[in-house]
Amino acid sequence: MSNIEKPVYLEEKLEEIQASGHLEYRSKSLPTWCPGCGYFSIVEGLTAALNNLSIDPDETVVVSGIGCASRFPFFIDTYGFHSLHGRALPVATGIKVANDDLSVIVVGGDGDAFAIGGAHIPHAARRNVDITYILFDNGIYGLTKGQTSPTSVLGFQTTTSPFENHDMPLNPLMMLLSYGASWVGQAYAGHPHHMAGMIEEALAFKGFSYLHVLSPCVTFDKTSKTYQNLGMSVRPLPDDHDRSDVMAAMAQAQKTDAPALGCYFEQPRPTLADGLNDIAARAAK
Amino acid sequence: MRATGQLQNLQGNHACAMGAIAAGCRFFAGYPITPSSEIAEKMSLELPKVDGIFIQMEDEIASMGAILGASMGGSKAMTATSGPGFSLKQENLGYAAGAEIPCVVVNVMRGGPSTGLPTRPAQGDIMQARWGTHGDHGVIVLAPCSVKEIYQEMIRAFWLTETLRVPVVVIYDEVIGHLVETVELPSPQSIEQAERKWASGPSAEFLPYQKTKDMVPAMARPGDGYRAHTTGLTTSESGFPTQDPGQVEAMVTRRLGKLEHHAADIASYEEIDCKDAKIILVTVGISARAAARAQQQARDKGLKVGLFRPITLWPFPVVAFRAASKKATHIIVPEMNAGQLILEIERLMSAKQTAVGINRIDGEVIDPVAILEKIEEISRA
Repeated sequence: MSNIEKPVYLEEKLEEIQASGHLEYRSKSLPTWCPGCGYFSIVEGLTAALNNLSIDPDETVVVSGIGCASRFPFFIDTYGFHSLHGRALPVATGIKVANDDLSVIVVGGDGDAFAIGGAHIPHAARRNVDITYILFDNGIYGLTKGQTSPTSVLGFQTTTSPFENHDMPLNPLMMLLSYGASWVGQAYAGHPHHMAGMIEEALAFKGFSYLHVLSPCVTFDKTSKTYQNLGMSVRPLPDDHDRSDVMAAMAQAQKTDAPALGCYFEQPRPTLADGLNDIAARAAK
Repeated sequence: MRATGQLQNLQGNHACAMGAIAAGCRFFAGYPITPSSEIAEKMSLELPKVDGIFIQMEDEIASMGAILGASMGGSKAMTATSGPGFSLKQENLGYAAGAEIPCVVVNVMRGGPSTGLPTRPAQGDIMQARWGTHGDHGVIVLAPCSVKEIYQEMIRAFWLTETLRVPVVVIYDEVIGHLVETVELPSPQSIEQAERKWASGPSAEFLPYQKTKDMVPAMARPGDGYRAHTTGLTTSESGFPTQDPGQVEAMVTRRLGKLEHHAADIASYEEIDCKDAKIILVTVGISARAAARAQQQARDKGLKVGLFRPITLWPFPVVAFRAASKKATHIIVPEMNAGQLILEIERLMSAKQTAVGINRIDGEVIDPVAILEKIEEISRA
């Protein structure tokens, strides 16, 4: 049974990872997601971005909630905080406020973010906590094996919508833009190089940055947000898109049939830490 | 803030905030809820003066999540709430117990369930404080009964949570929270600051949940060079999830055993005239203040009555209670609920002893007269 003890594909994968030049950020645990899952390329994209920006893994905390996407911290060699379902943002806020020198990255899925954790997003955005939130949207609950999610499209048939989904899906980009997020972008796991660049941009931004990643669930979604369907519908943002114009960003965000990839909106403003520093200065008087 | 070392009139909730700051608390996240809001208000005013951070979060759950994050980041952190808010915090409180994250949660008790009697006192969360979260878990619950004791117990709460990595809950009723008493606070220099056991030694050998002699693993602080993962999943000593029955059992056993191992440091109680007492009063909070008066009046009448007041409510000071109640035939438990603390007393007492409850569930406090009447009734029989 020597072929089972030493599976060839793992060695190949390891070589590939080592060749990537950012092995330092990779955990000894290889991801446990299904083969073909879009999340693999997000690991690749984030580790590449951390490497390119020379962010010290000892000064980095990756925070997640619960779900397939939220297993992410185990697969990256930084500090990790795998918190409760839906509660990654408050935890991340606490970590960042306790030590502003840390790079804090929040990862999670659409159910974690927009269902159980929906109450926290507007507040992390309006406070402008200097963190990056990478949202993996596959429109389904994968870890619990295929139930409908807040971003499932109308008519989607799942184990909890056997007669098709009748609940209007949320539009996360519209939500984040109206919450006052200071950086909002969208990427697609099927375009890993573009996504890696977007992650890098989001990390480099000072303030609350939200990157929405469309990422197919190859196991439980065979009809809706598949590589085939998304691959045919995604498009880049128009060349003349003005990222300082929130109305233009919202107009693009409305076009859900042809999701545009790129940075929708960017507007630097004082962060939570700036506000707290101001409070401390006033209190000292 | 008034200088220490002089007499001042202080409200219980304000004493809570000041005790926490004196203990080194530098992070407070909260959400307004009666009758605990003065704690958050005081923190918002005082914390920024000492390089601390106050943040009003969007809800009770977020407040609890934020203090876990801040604690992991290295801050001494707390939140405060009341019954319904305490229920909302329970899932994260379980996380803190499982992942062993130091934190202090204050619950100023009001009438429940649900919105109940938001401005009226009650003691209905005695069992919620112990069993509110899910699964097998340890938690330390402190129950002060005066303004000064709130201050002192907040200091002890931080000491226990920081050194043992067990979440500590401080509970008191609305009366104690809003009571104004004249107190003299100790100087801040006299308060010993608890220091968490931080990771040290070679990072390659570091195990985030290593079983050590004192059962308390060292903690990795982001930025210190020990890249550890924190999770709500059950882990091995490495901090990575495991379902291996042996490792799971070892982890759960150590977390529970930690409280047992440090039982002597955790236990705290007040004992008045128990040695020869035929009747022992067992109670907490404002009910204990009434009981103390009734106990004195009973002694004045020549009745052999004692008072046993658990200051550490959970784990209940079993050894001390059994020793104190050795000669007692009756144990009276006055409490502002339908009978919660009495369940523990019935569990602990001998077959020869009788437990008698005095309960108020109408949003009013228990009068010393009612306790004295019960003492006399039992004494006559």
